[in-house]
Amino acid sequence: MAVDPEKQISGLWKALQGSQGATRRTFYQMRQVLLEIAGPDANPLDLGVKAWEIIGKDMGKANLPRMNLLKGIEGLMMNVARAYQGLATTNGAVVNIEKGDNANELFIKWERCPWPTAAKESGASMEEDLKGCDTYLQAFLDEVNAFLGTNLKIETLKGIPSGDGVCIRRLYNPENK
Amino acid sequence: MGDKAKWDYASYPGYNKYPNLFKPIKIGKLTIPIRIKYAATNDNLSDPDGFATDASVGYIRERARGIVGGICTTAGIYMDEKRQGKGEASQAAAWDDKFIPGLKSVADAIHEEGSVAAGQLVHYGRVGAHDAQYCQGPSVVPQRLVLFKPVQAMAKVDIKQCVKEHIEAAERLLKAGFDIVEIQGIAGDLIANFISSYTNRRTDEYGGDIRGRMRFVVEIIQEVKKVCGDVPVGIRLCADELLDDVGGNTHEESMITYEIAEEAGVDYISISAGWQESRYPVITRDIPEGYWLYLAERAKQHVSIPVAMAYRLFTPDLPNKAVGDEKLDIWEMCRPMIADPLLPKKVLEGHEEEIRPCVGCNLCIARLYRDAPMTCYINPICAHEWDENYHIKPAEMEKTIMIVGGGPAGLECAWVAAERGHEVHVYESREELGGTIIEASKAPYGDDELYGYIRFAKTMCEKNGVELHLGTEVNSDVIGEEMPDSVVLATGPMYTKGTAPGFERENVVSVLDVLNGTAQVGEKVVIWGNKKPAISVALFLAKQGKDVTIVGREKKLGKDVNPSFLWRYVGYLRQNKVTTYNDCDIGEITDQRVTVITYDGYHIPVKADTVVLTEREANPRLKDVVQENSIELFVIGDALIPRNLSSAVHDGYRIGIRI
Repeated sequence: MAVDPEKQISGLWKALQGSQGATRRTFYQMRQVLLEIAGPDANPLDLGVKAWEIIGKDMGKANLPRMNLLKGIEGLMMNVARAYQGLATTNGAVVNIEKGDNANELFIKWERCPWPTAAKESGASMEEDLKGCDTYLQAFLDEVNAFLGTNLKIETLKGIPSGDGVCIRRLYNPENK
Repeated sequence: MGDKAKWDYASYPGYNKYPNLFKPIKIGKLTIPIRIKYAATNDNLSDPDGFATDASVGYIRERARGIVGGICTTAGIYMDEKRQGKGEASQAAAWDDKFIPGLKSVADAIHEEGSVAAGQLVHYGRVGAHDAQYCQGPSVVPQRLVLFKPVQAMAKVDIKQCVKEHIEAAERLLKAGFDIVEIQGIAGDLIANFISSYTNRRTDEYGGDIRGRMRFVVEIIQEVKKVCGDVPVGIRLCADELLDDVGGNTHEESMITYEIAEEAGVDYISISAGWQESRYPVITRDIPEGYWLYLAERAKQHVSIPVAMAYRLFTPDLPNKAVGDEKLDIWEMCRPMIADPLLPKKVLEGHEEEIRPCVGCNLCIARLYRDAPMTCYINPICAHEWDENYHIKPAEMEKTIMIVGGGPAGLECAWVAAERGHEVHVYESREELGGTIIEASKAPYGDDELYGYIRFAKTMCEKNGVELHLGTEVNSDVIGEEMPDSVVLATGPMYTKGTAPGFERENVVSVLDVLNGTAQVGEKVVIWGNKKPAISVALFLAKQGKDVTIVGREKKLGKDVNPSFLWRYVGYLRQNKVTTYNDCDIGEITDQRVTVITYDGYHIPVKADTVVLTEREANPRLKDVVQENSIELFVIGDALIPRNLSSAVHDGYRIGIRI
């Protein structure tokens, strides 16, 4: 049977986008469930951030088998950055990695990310969105550091939720300046 | 009042050309000297609390001037303090006596121009509640368009209150001096909601069969008639709701509503077609002019009172014939007189070629739904009639002006500047005027109407003595020789290629060459770009049976098309099986294939033997030359930033009045 690659790929692409949308909606629906169960005293920011911490830890653990320190700390940093990139891309973001001025830093750039829009549509604050993402990345990194005995750090330089147009995060190794 | 009209119609050429339009008609006990009516047109020009403003009075005054003694109708006026009948951010109100002075200023303006003042009352029903959380309706029927608020069913006490509000508002119109009271009941408004089997599911006396659904309307008509006495009362009702897919009224039922309205005492009926929730176009340029006349003819068979109609009657020939054939009594206009408020006056005076033509784009409507004041795609002065700064005034210092480019921006600037007293020269490299509108008007679904603007602009240039230099390429030598006081660059856009491999191939052609028939186009075509030119050429090619795909970087298709027209294009693209990839780039072009790269990096192979370029960028040509010669420089239209016909015309006018 003849295969029409355009039809196949565009169909899969649309299905992927639908699935990514469903993931975001499910996250915010579950957040709403928890808020309603927790009652009026619950702080949505705390709840959202906690959820991202749990997700970050889980994703960090899931990615540990791929983390390779045998090629040195620079190799490990690239492993972590690529993991961030892969996870974000799976969720519909466009992420690039750029090397810094020295070998001890990498810049991870979210050119586009659908999560701030999803937060806005679901009534979550931009503060929660940004803090949630920071917590998620940090929790991921904590798992890697604990497992490999490293001390990698990540800091947010720009954020789409802050109106910067892009998210830029610096991944670095402070012990080898 | 009409009987005070200052026009001696028989002394003008339009009287002989269109005799059926310039003859009197009786509405109730009032004789109107001609059969032309400016129909109620929402303008969003009042104060947000509903008071008249300089802009709203200036707007209606200009239309009253143009209607030459005919009927000039206000925009719909809401009547309830709770604002559930309010449909726009800045709609006029009449729910209290405090609005009477403002209403009087509107009626006075119409009278001062010698025309008949009609005030329209409207409760927007399920398309209302602009400032409220819920809108009112006969029954809770979910909205088809998310734009509108959820509906609350009216209790009988609400119905009685609404009838009372109509009576009180009508009294205020009379106190303000209006000659006619018109009740609006079309396109999703409350009265239409009660009449329609789609939205009225009541089981009490206000629901049920068509007579039950008309009870609310009958009560309003009868009560308003009581307070109006000899002042005529008219009503606007749907002749076809175009809601068959959701169980709307049948054609027979619509005609019964006309008969019942006449029985209830209305003095004329203005007929309409469609609701906001209809899935069919009604007034956009993809509907042929005169298309809806059959509805007027049908209505005439059911009532003996005068029948008026607007809806795609943009030129006088069709309504003149329809009136002569007794298919219509009064020619109404909204959009054509937004575009040119003096349209009937120009018809009467025999200057039809000077009419600025509406292009049926619905930008005027799109603005209203976005809480913006009325504007017109083609008429830069619209809604600025009150503002002296927008008027064409004699130049303080006469200049010699060189305009490079004979497209819409250049031509608009040229005639306006010439009317102000400047010596204006238009240089056009082609042998004909029109710029890219020549090609744009070859696209299907009514785009030929875009060229009407060029015909108008050419006439105005000739009338104002603009010197046209066709087939003349302007370069540094020409500028150096002529040394004008000012140069206006209206050179149009530059069409740009992408950077991907293959853009230099022979199978990559320009949109202009495709539309004017000079390019070789295969059977499988990729259009590069997803704005208006891309949509036009896609439909042009798809109508020829070609397999067309649009690929563009914009996140949404037709970013430069107003949303009240875009839905039509989207429908036609779907109908013609055009595939669209928005937010995408082209990765590579070969003889047989284009690789589309999605924003998230996926590569999709698309079979294509031809690629059409529609992406544009600003045109800096000649800027340096003009500046080096220390000549005053203006850049307008697509040469400044590629946009659309509207921006070109507005740019041209704004520079024309200040240069």
